[in-house]
Amino acid sequence: MSVNSNTVNTVLGPVPAGELGVVSVHEALLSVLPGAEHAFDITLDRAEIFETLAGKLREFRAHGGGTVVDSTGMFHGRDVRLYEALSRSTGVHIVASTGQGPEELLGGYFLTPQTNPPTPWPAEKFAGLFTKEITEGMVVPRVERRGPAGLVTAAVSRAGMTATDESLLRGAARTALATGTAVSFRFGADAVRELDVVLDENLPADRVAVGGLDRKDAVAAGAPERIAARGAYAVLDHVGTDDAEHLADTERAVLVAGLVRAGHADRILLSVGATGVAKGHPANDLPYSHLLTAFVPLLKAHGVGEDDVRRIIEANPRHLLAVR
Amino acid sequence: MSRVNTVLGPIPAEELGFVAIHEHIGYGMPGSELDTQWWKTPEQRYEETVPKLRRFHELGGGTFVDVTGICNGRDVDYYRSLSAKTGVHIVACTGFVGGDTALPHFARAGVDYLTRQFVHEITVGIGGTGSLAGVIKVGVSRGGRMTDLDKRIYRAAARAALTTGVPVLTHLAIDAENAVAIFNEEGLPLDRVLFGHVDDGVNAGKTRDVWIAEQGGRIGFDTFGYETELPDPPFWARPRKERLDHFLRFVGEGRLGQVLASADANCSPLGWPGVKGHTVNYIFEDLVPDLRAAGLDEAAIKTVFVDNPAGFLTLHK
Repeated sequence: MSVNSNTVNTVLGPVPAGELGVVSVHEALLSVLPGAEHAFDITLDRAEIFETLAGKLREFRAHGGGTVVDSTGMFHGRDVRLYEALSRSTGVHIVASTGQGPEELLGGYFLTPQTNPPTPWPAEKFAGLFTKEITEGMVVPRVERRGPAGLVTAAVSRAGMTATDESLLRGAARTALATGTAVSFRFGADAVRELDVVLDENLPADRVAVGGLDRKDAVAAGAPERIAARGAYAVLDHVGTDDAEHLADTERAVLVAGLVRAGHADRILLSVGATGVAKGHPANDLPYSHLLTAFVPLLKAHGVGEDDVRRIIEANPRHLLAVR
Repeated sequence: MSRVNTVLGPIPAEELGFVAIHEHIGYGMPGSELDTQWWKTPEQRYEETVPKLRRFHELGGGTFVDVTGICNGRDVDYYRSLSAKTGVHIVACTGFVGGDTALPHFARAGVDYLTRQFVHEITVGIGGTGSLAGVIKVGVSRGGRMTDLDKRIYRAAARAALTTGVPVLTHLAIDAENAVAIFNEEGLPLDRVLFGHVDDGVNAGKTRDVWIAEQGGRIGFDTFGYETELPDPPFWARPRKERLDHFLRFVGEGRLGQVLASADANCSPLGWPGVKGHTVNYIFEDLVPDLRAAGLDEAAIKTVFVDNPAGFLTLHK
């Protein structure tokens, strides 16, 4: 199989995977906490949002970035038409995602439907909803569908996987099986167990990326290595963040170097987890380029060779995003 | 000065006329907008809605109170165009149908923030429309008991009602002890609260309508028309005669001044199939004839549909 023959669904249409360049796989462009769009004290000035995002994307490109994946799914501020305009004007490839989660971020339509009893949506219905976002196009709510989503996202509650979180994971896995698009989920409390739920749907492990693995609790549990050993992608998606919850960059670089030495260079993905514009929640204002300007040099200083660096920031995301 | 907020601006209560107090232009659970199975073109939406409002107007309807909460597809620009073109006054609400229809931004919020949201929508405007909300919607989540979030919303509604003078209208009147306790703690007179859906098929048996009325609350028999006799009744349907008898019994006990009635119909539902054949005009075509047949005189009918709503909707400051 020639990987180069595969294409990736960007907001401007299919792009040969080989053209993506450096990819940041877990970012947010416009990130809106559901409901914030109705808040009396929050404004969504599209022109201003565009200007801010375009500036950040151009800066990413200026430092060698090629593709930004908005991994926030279909219900967290995703604005497909805005992303199309951003991609056209900045030259950065933008991959938008379908999916949603964790449970707390879902609308009542999925959790307390107008049935008696109000049974939450099962996996099969989520699979149907997400699959159509790929086979028929991403929704602009109640207006139209645009191009196909390039990734299926999910997220698990931090307190542990709820029944609906599990339905979201299984629905995402079934969507991936039906469409050839990969799954990326942010783990909740137990990354390995949650990955096993996805794999239980018979999705090959190399079609799954597990995010949040540079959290200290994940590292303490050995999750990055265990996820990589299962054949899934281990995503360290808070590069540049240094807080009580996450590793600092130096520790993160040590972690990556260790994974590479253990033979997992082809299972690692990196991202900043920045929120280009955040509404209704605190922003992660790091530039998308932090990965390239600060972290890549740090990786090299920790003995990760150029080939492995390129593998991690170009080849691995290419393989993940290419539709199979 | 008597004053009621409609989507096209304040009007005197004397102009409200016959009021449908608990209705929906179109209702959908939050998130239903992502599911294309419910989508309709704007042409279809107007086509389904305008004739119902026009007929409402022709039959003598003056005012349509839309109680579609924040996050449920409330669309005030659309209501403005409908009102302007049909001549029906439309009152829009702030608030939430229940905690389980409040999206995370609001579900995580405290009472103070929710109060400010409601007051803003009543005094400054809803979104960028400039239209002021005329009622505050609150409600009980699925499950039969008020959740902590439901209680925060009720408390914020009480404070916003006291600040602005608009009334509060509830979705469901079950677990009323908790609701009444909150309104009492906040000092909101209970005649500023319409406890709705006392008549629905699921909850009527466990709703303490008489007790609520004794506390001074207004009582909403506002799911008229959701009948088990329909070809495909919803789960909250109730036998027609049973609901009517319930209403007549309640009114007969000297509580005419405390009741309001409505049909809770959707002109064009947003996130569910709706109930075929059920419209706001059930009020004129079925309910009012039933009431006359049961012996209610014109003065009593005017009390229920004109005077009581006017007293309720008028801003009290």
